[in-house]
Amino acid sequence: MSMFSKVLVANRGEIAVRVLQTLQAMGIATAAVYSDPDANAPHAALADEAFALGGSTAEETYLDRRKIIELAIGCGADAVHPGYGFLAENPAFSRECAEAGLVFIGPSPETIELLGDKIRSKEAAIQAGVPVVPSSPMWQPGESQTDDMSSEIGFPLLVKAAAGGGGRGMRIVERAQDLEQALESASRESASAFGDGRVFLERYIPSARHVEFQVLADSSGHTLHLLERECSVQRRYQKVIEETSSPALDDDLRSRMAASAVAMAKSAGYANAGTVEFLVDAQTGDYYFLEMNARIQVEHPITEETLRLDMVEWQTRIAAGESLTLSQEEVRAVGHALECRIYAEDPYGNFAPATGRLLAWRPPSGMGIRLDSGVSEGQEITAYYDSMLAKLVAWGPDRQASIGRMLRALESFPVLGVTTNIPFLIRALAHPSFRSGEYDTGFIAKNPELTAATEVGMLNNAAAEIAEGIWQTNGTAAAGRTATSSQQPLGPWSGLPKSTFP
Amino acid sequence: MTTRRLLQVHPPGPEITEASDAPDFEIAAPSPGRWEGTVRLDDGRSATFLAIRDGQQVHVWIAGETYVFAPPAPVTRSRRSGQAASDDIVCPVPGVVIAVHVAAADVVEAGQDLVIIESMKTEQIVKSPRDGTVERVSVQEGDRVDRGMRLVVLVPEVGE
Repeated sequence: MSMFSKVLVANRGEIAVRVLQTLQAMGIATAAVYSDPDANAPHAALADEAFALGGSTAEETYLDRRKIIELAIGCGADAVHPGYGFLAENPAFSRECAEAGLVFIGPSPETIELLGDKIRSKEAAIQAGVPVVPSSPMWQPGESQTDDMSSEIGFPLLVKAAAGGGGRGMRIVERAQDLEQALESASRESASAFGDGRVFLERYIPSARHVEFQVLADSSGHTLHLLERECSVQRRYQKVIEETSSPALDDDLRSRMAASAVAMAKSAGYANAGTVEFLVDAQTGDYYFLEMNARIQVEHPITEETLRLDMVEWQTRIAAGESLTLSQEEVRAVGHALECRIYAEDPYGNFAPATGRLLAWRPPSGMGIRLDSGVSEGQEITAYYDSMLAKLVAWGPDRQASIGRMLRALESFPVLGVTTNIPFLIRALAHPSFRSGEYDTGFIAKNPELTAATEVGMLNNAAAEIAEGIWQTNGTAAAGRTATSSQQPLGPWSGLPKSTFP
Repeated sequence: MTTRRLLQVHPPGPEITEASDAPDFEIAAPSPGRWEGTVRLDDGRSATFLAIRDGQQVHVWIAGETYVFAPPAPVTRSRRSGQAASDDIVCPVPGVVIAVHVAAADVVEAGQDLVIIESMKTEQIVKSPRDGTVERVSVQEGDRVDRGMRLVVLVPEVGE
């Protein structure tokens, strides 16, 4: 098979931009699709061609399989890249692409189907000799044998959705009397998010770390692991900060988990880039298979930065039938990389989603800094889609250096008009538990100071004074309390007064 | 000392009406409604800032933190005299109503689920702030809602 001539990217936001950039670097023509609210979004502007899907909700746009396949065929694309989320792990879409003569850049529909079902994927893990967490059979609304279900697992336990991901349809249940309600609520959330209301129970590991392994496999079954990513800083079971290498792994645990990841991928017949997620019990050092994600992972850039490779390029080459030319021995990480997800949410208000117009969006730059972004200044952030705006990545020769670079970058990243989690990210990275590497998935809950509103301080005071000044002069810096002390010399700000308050 | 005309509306926090030591700031690039420059903090450090006025709000970014200021909201008359504002249960986030669990005349307990909103792909459960009776439900399943919009009204508590 030869390389594709044109690829349609069936996604939006930062991942659509990320995929388009690699395709363009590979010399492949690109097509994008966009919803009405995304008509001026960066991904639509970046692609060689962009097609309106018509509509606003995910269901009528980025989840509309028929529309997307028709547009792909109509524009002469020979492949579709699904990104993550939306149709990325939808076996029907992958199958319909194949039937329409389009290559789906991802694993086969059979593999997606297997891995998308938590029960079947767990069975596959067991067959591959990969350790798994004890769990119950499936439950659906209308069934009420909840006592039997929990007896072998014990409380606290987790309710999880069969089709879940990103924490949706997941609940921690502390007491038996809360189980029924948690099952119903998780089932409803899962049915609305994934069209599948089946949920199950799983043992809850109180001090757990979330560590995943990237794998890469070609269609001949040549399978590699690309080392781990530590993803334990989470809120609402969604990752916020990721890093590689993981401070939790020693060489022995790393090599055992890597072997499990490769065994899992092989047992699922995996071809393309995928991620095997594990829970590591911080107290015992035991690890358990959680799930395998059959797509590009949000946090793939940190692997790219430490291994100096392009994951989207490998996805594309493998889908076009090329063989993996890398060997396991060539996979050697250099330095340390961190990723911070920039979410439109209120860190001081229980991370509630935030919307609005991006009045200012000025990404930082500098040594070792990378921003994967899907938004631009002036853009309206709506409630229709996910709240992740961008991913800030910092590479450094070692862990402390990458934390230092990330902190500096976060502190010089003005975003106005839409509340973001940047102040939270700054506090989290500076926290002694994060600095020492000794944190688990309870990091945010155990440290309420990370999300406490700021006290009156120098910054509040200075900000309040600036606000008063701009309010009273409407920003012209010429009226009221402005005391003009000197004129600037000629230059870009020529003629504008240098002002001192009061 | 100057009297402040704006209140800090986000993050929720301090209400300062009197300015203390006003910092010196230097504006590098003012344009209508937009300032940026550096400010000298009380401890002598200098920090860069960016401030934008957007309608009735002023947004200020300073050294990694952001603040939103606005003039105090005018005191609104309640719908009936003596009715506390806490009888109105408002929407915490923009999104779509995916479930309504109560109807007028229902008796509810503090912490009971009233309405479920889906916003940015996550469920936000709106719970009752107190024990009471539902006077009226202002939304139905499928409604698009905004932050601050009234969802449910409770019958006012008897007494003071």
